[in-house]
Amino acid sequence: MTDNQRPEDAVVIARSFDAPVHLVWQMWTDPEHFKAWYGPDGATLPVAKMDVRVGGTRLVCMEIQSPSGPMQMWFTGEYREVEENERLVYTESMSDENGNVLSPSDMGMPEGHPTTTEVRVELQDIDGRTRMVMTHAGISADSPGAAGWAMALDKLTAYVRTQGAR
Amino acid sequence: MTTAIDNDRLSETFAALASSTRRAILAQLAEGAATVNELAEPFEMTLPTISKHIKVLERAGLVTRGQRAQYRPCALDAARLEEVSTWAEQYRPVWEARFDRMDDYLKQLDPQRKTGEEDD
Repeated sequence: MTDNQRPEDAVVIARSFDAPVHLVWQMWTDPEHFKAWYGPDGATLPVAKMDVRVGGTRLVCMEIQSPSGPMQMWFTGEYREVEENERLVYTESMSDENGNVLSPSDMGMPEGHPTTTEVRVELQDIDGRTRMVMTHAGISADSPGAAGWAMALDKLTAYVRTQGAR
Repeated sequence: MTTAIDNDRLSETFAALASSTRRAILAQLAEGAATVNELAEPFEMTLPTISKHIKVLERAGLVTRGQRAQYRPCALDAARLEEVSTWAEQYRPVWEARFDRMDDYLKQLDPQRKTGEEDD
C-alpha cells in the first residue's frame, strides 16, 4: 500500500503457521492447495488457474450457495511480485468467466471508480515455522478497469451519501 | 469485536450484494423509494424474479418495505450499507476464516510431510 492510502483501505493480518515456508507458499500458488482453504464457508472453488510469474494472470471461480441457488463469482488478476517462499503480490478484480474485468457500470455502479485490489503475502521462516503477513489493499482511484464488488459497495455508499436521504 | 452472529449477518449481506442486479436495485433505490413494479421496469425480469431479489436484500437488512397498502414501496436502508461499507473491514473476517482453514489444512498435511520428502 502507498503512503497516501488511508489505513481503512487495507486489511493487514499476521499469522504464524506450524509449517515450513515452502508449504505455506504452495498454499497460495498451487491451485489444489489453494482450493482447499480459500473459499469462504459454504463456497467451493471449481476453477483456480494460476500462472505464477510476474505478469502472469490468475482466474478464480468461487461458487456460493445462496438462497436463490448456486451463484458463481469470478475473479481475475495479475501477479506483480513473485519471490518464491518470500513474497507474492497479485491484483484482484471481479470478472466474467473469461477473465474479462467487469466495469463499474456492469456492476450497476457509476463509472470512474477504483475497482482493483492488491493482495500481498510476505513469508518469513522462523526456525522451521512460518510467519505470514497478508495485506489486502485497494488500488488508487486512477487505476483503470477492474471491479471488486466490495469496492463497488464502498462507492455505492458514497453515492448514496451524495444523494442525501431523499 | 467480530462475533459469529456479526459474521453470519455479514455473509448474508455479502451474498445479497454479490449480484449485479441487486446492486443495480440498490443504486436505483438510492434515488428514492420505489415500488416493485417501478424497480422491475429497467430489468427484463418478471415481477416474481425481481420480488425474489428484493426479498434477499430485505433479509440482508439493505432494503426496508413500507407497510402501506398493497404497494409496499421499497426503500434503501443506508445505515446497513454504511455498516459494511469499509471494504477492508468487510474482508477481515473473511481472511481470518480463510487462514483458520489454511491452518487446519496444513495440520492435515503435516503427518504426510513428516514421513515423506520435504521437497515439492
